[in-house]
Amino acid sequence: MKILLSWLREFVDVPGTAEQIATTMSVRGFAVEGIESLPEFTEAVTADGTVARTPAASADAVIDFEVTANRPDCLSVAGMAREIATAYGLQVRRPVAGGSSLALTSLKSVEQGDIEIAIENKELCPRYVGAVADVTVGPSPEWMQARLRAAGIRPISNIVDITNYVLIELGQPLHAFDSTKLGGGAIRVRTARPEETLRTLDGQMRTLTPEMLVIADAERAVAIAGVMGGVDSEVSAETQTIVFESAYFTPQQVRRTSKRLGLKTEASTRFERGTDPRLPVTAMERACALLELVRAGTARGTLVDRYPIRLEPAVLRLRRDRVSGLLGTTVPDTDIKRILESLGFALREAEHGWDVTVPTRRVDVLREVDLIEEVARHNGFDRIPATFPAVTVAPPPMDPRITQARALRTIMTGAGFSEAVTFGFISESSAAPFAADGDIVPIANPLSESFAVLRPSVLPGLVAAVAHNRRREQRDVRLFEIGAWFSRARGERRSLALAWTGAVGADHWSGGTRPIDYFDVQGVVHRVCQALRVDPRMEGVAEPWLVPGRGAAILANDVRIGTMGLLASSIVEQQTLSASDAIYVAEIDLDSVPPLDDDLQVEALPRHPSMTRDISILVADTLAAGTVRQTVQENAPDTLVRISEFDRYQGKGIPDGQISLSLRLTFRAPDRTLTDSEVQKAVEGVLAALNQRHGAVQR
Amino acid sequence: MSDTPPDRSTIDDLRDRFRARLESSETVAALKALQDQFLSRKSGTITGLMKTLGSLPHEARREFGSLVNTLKTEIENAIDEKRHALESSRPPAGAVDITLPGRLTPLGHVHPLMRVRQQVEDIFTRMGYEILEGAEVEDDFHNFEALNMPPEHPARDMQDTLYLAHPIVGGTWGAHRSPVPGHVPEAQVRAATLLRTHTSAMQIRYMKTFPPPVRIMVPGRVYRRDNLDLTHTPMFQQFEVLVVGKGISMADLKGTLEAMLTSLFGHVKIRLRPSFFPYTEPSAEVDITCHGCGGSGCSVCKQTGWLEILGSGMVHPAVFEAVGYDPEAVTGFAFGMGLERVAMLKYGVSDIRLFYENDVRFLEQFPVP
Repeated sequence: MKILLSWLREFVDVPGTAEQIATTMSVRGFAVEGIESLPEFTEAVTADGTVARTPAASADAVIDFEVTANRPDCLSVAGMAREIATAYGLQVRRPVAGGSSLALTSLKSVEQGDIEIAIENKELCPRYVGAVADVTVGPSPEWMQARLRAAGIRPISNIVDITNYVLIELGQPLHAFDSTKLGGGAIRVRTARPEETLRTLDGQMRTLTPEMLVIADAERAVAIAGVMGGVDSEVSAETQTIVFESAYFTPQQVRRTSKRLGLKTEASTRFERGTDPRLPVTAMERACALLELVRAGTARGTLVDRYPIRLEPAVLRLRRDRVSGLLGTTVPDTDIKRILESLGFALREAEHGWDVTVPTRRVDVLREVDLIEEVARHNGFDRIPATFPAVTVAPPPMDPRITQARALRTIMTGAGFSEAVTFGFISESSAAPFAADGDIVPIANPLSESFAVLRPSVLPGLVAAVAHNRRREQRDVRLFEIGAWFSRARGERRSLALAWTGAVGADHWSGGTRPIDYFDVQGVVHRVCQALRVDPRMEGVAEPWLVPGRGAAILANDVRIGTMGLLASSIVEQQTLSASDAIYVAEIDLDSVPPLDDDLQVEALPRHPSMTRDISILVADTLAAGTVRQTVQENAPDTLVRISEFDRYQGKGIPDGQISLSLRLTFRAPDRTLTDSEVQKAVEGVLAALNQRHGAVQR
Repeated sequence: MSDTPPDRSTIDDLRDRFRARLESSETVAALKALQDQFLSRKSGTITGLMKTLGSLPHEARREFGSLVNTLKTEIENAIDEKRHALESSRPPAGAVDITLPGRLTPLGHVHPLMRVRQQVEDIFTRMGYEILEGAEVEDDFHNFEALNMPPEHPARDMQDTLYLAHPIVGGTWGAHRSPVPGHVPEAQVRAATLLRTHTSAMQIRYMKTFPPPVRIMVPGRVYRRDNLDLTHTPMFQQFEVLVVGKGISMADLKGTLEAMLTSLFGHVKIRLRPSFFPYTEPSAEVDITCHGCGGSGCSVCKQTGWLEILGSGMVHPAVFEAVGYDPEAVTGFAFGMGLERVAMLKYGVSDIRLFYENDVRFLEQFPVP
């Protein structure tokens, strides 16, 4: 709200500079967005064509106050003046009939005036005041135009300027109709008829709906109530008689209409937040006084005030101990009374405090706590001391999810991966390969194509981040992210995703490094599983976003918890990288993994030595090592405690289509030292089973 | 050697030449060459001098012979000494050049937003607060209505919302707590229709599930329909704190904020400015003194000396009513802070988009821990 300092001073004799006022008010709830100093000289072109400079009466400035949505009463010079007067302990001047400044022209309220007014929807329009005036349309005087411009309003003509002047000065939106263009000399406040149309002042043809309130003459709509007038009844240079409208429309109605039409005006902004139902008559009398002041015309002397629903001020109980209890400091009674009365509240002593009458303009004050805020605001938040809330209950348990995320962060950074944070929404094309048909959740009102759907996986965003780095000369990129993803079928879930491209490690003088391969990434996946305390098993998988034969489903206890593999070249190319860029990725669904607990019991350390036996077998190269491992496990005694593959060889000396696979088997018994023959027997049993099941031949 | 008889100055010249050569001989091989030059039986300079002795008169031969011998001994000793020094400074067998770089196992970095988040989590964990993560998708009731923002409330404009084309089930929370939230109606998000615009929705779900007192922090990602620019992102990280109990006051809010902000930013002063949020009353914006100028005014703080850091207030009675708490019996405070803002001020980041580009050259500037 742009407030001109000299205009403000018509209401309150506030001392100091614009900057000083801004500093004071910014801690009273009115942040200042800017201060504009007006030139100290006014310039005008004289008759002989030269520019004359006249010193301005006083240094003037415009303070742009940020008025919060709950304070429509401060969207005016008078409203801000009231706040400033309270902050400075000053009196505020009000417009009065016959006053030298802020003058009002008294109008007699009549039932039947020069205009006939009927409200059909009183719930939507509780009050409508109309008055007729005879006018000569022309430009308004320079001082009025200057003030409007300072407030950010474009001067149009004396009549329109007067309505805007009153809007800025008092906060009451007014409208002026050309009375001769109102058919039947009547005003009807009614809802729009189906398909009713109106060309509004901005030149647009608007199609109205029956939920919208309009001002109509006997036949048709002439204005959209509280939003904008119509072209047909607009005041023009030829206009000789006008009807001023000064009304109270219900906020929800104006808000809904303005939103539906996509039409926001100075008037609608105020109506939709709530104007003062007691203001319309004063505003009308002020408009008529200005009419005479700027010699634009004369009011007929009467007004018609339709007020079918009277909005009475609320009375709230304010308790002393609630003030001190909520603020944590005691505010003296005298200060409470001073502050509230200065803001226009009326106080009457009551039990434990006061009964407070709330001015009708204060639409934000509905409860006791709102009064406490008023007191706190003008008493100063800086007077509130700093204390601590007492702890009254035992400390809560830690959410294992947080523990898990922190453990993963430690493990992943230790493994050389940096944490990324990417957006929760991505483009549909980058999401599509990662989701089943119809499982993507689109955003109904997306900002743009690149933020069109909720991510069905953390991977697409992470891959984009890898690409960002690859395009910036980074050869090795290791990134991970812990975050939510979304599916129509499964809802919102959390996962850990990682992406890795480049070399295993940094270059070194002792020899080069090598590009990462599948098993480097699998190693990291395994480590993550260790941190999550699950034992992973890999199963071949076909995903459209993975290279065939280079991807695996990660299973724990036979439940799929994730996927890993080499990113398909189509996806790499989508990121405008070369298809030869090998990007390995993995994602583990953290909601599928049991929470970490501290339920640990140590096992006694082995007391007897272990024995190892190495076996090398020839098997078909299509046989999965996991299958061999499983066969070994199933056919060995309980004393087999460990199997590790230590060599896999294919080539010279090995028949075509076969591989040599070497396994190290470790045997140990908890209660005795194993004998050679016992272990030998176990190994023979394993070899026999491998031969029988897979045709494995010992080398 | 010349045929002129040697004299004392010849000896002195020779000594000086030897000393200079010795000085610059830094290897055993160089030392050997030096030794040969002076002492070689065939061609050594000293040996040559010795050979000229015979041509001298008896007296001179005695005197000069003694001088030459002294020099010879001196040279032998000096070479031995230097050789010994060189040999003893030789690294032992198998020694490595310890100034060469080692093989670096790469170290990852924690994202600055997560780094700040854990710092704040730690501050409040030390004060006995519980950490909760809510769902990122929410329904209208928990995101708006229960927070005193009924449909068509003007304040909804302050947080332009992204809606889902289809309702989905939201993420779970608080499985570690008893009663299990899943068993409390409405604890979990059953049909989310929007992306949460703030973490405050968790206030509602928590209070509907558990009785007072409440002492929680809710960090998480929130979404608004904002275009990407220097200071805005359509998704950002919010950190919310809620305390409810008997006699909780605005002074408690102020003390708690002071503790957090000085812990994060060092010796700053804080200022509460009246503001408006539908779910708090009174509401306050919180400023800290500008680190750029210490409060005297500079371009960072637009000459005000203050930097806005978060929004806060006393929980609105309507919120208590929505969750079934008695606003006459309990009061509370809440605040919400953007972690981007904190990280920008703390680390001097001037473009918020850097947090979401994940450029490793940016990430690498944040050490672990």
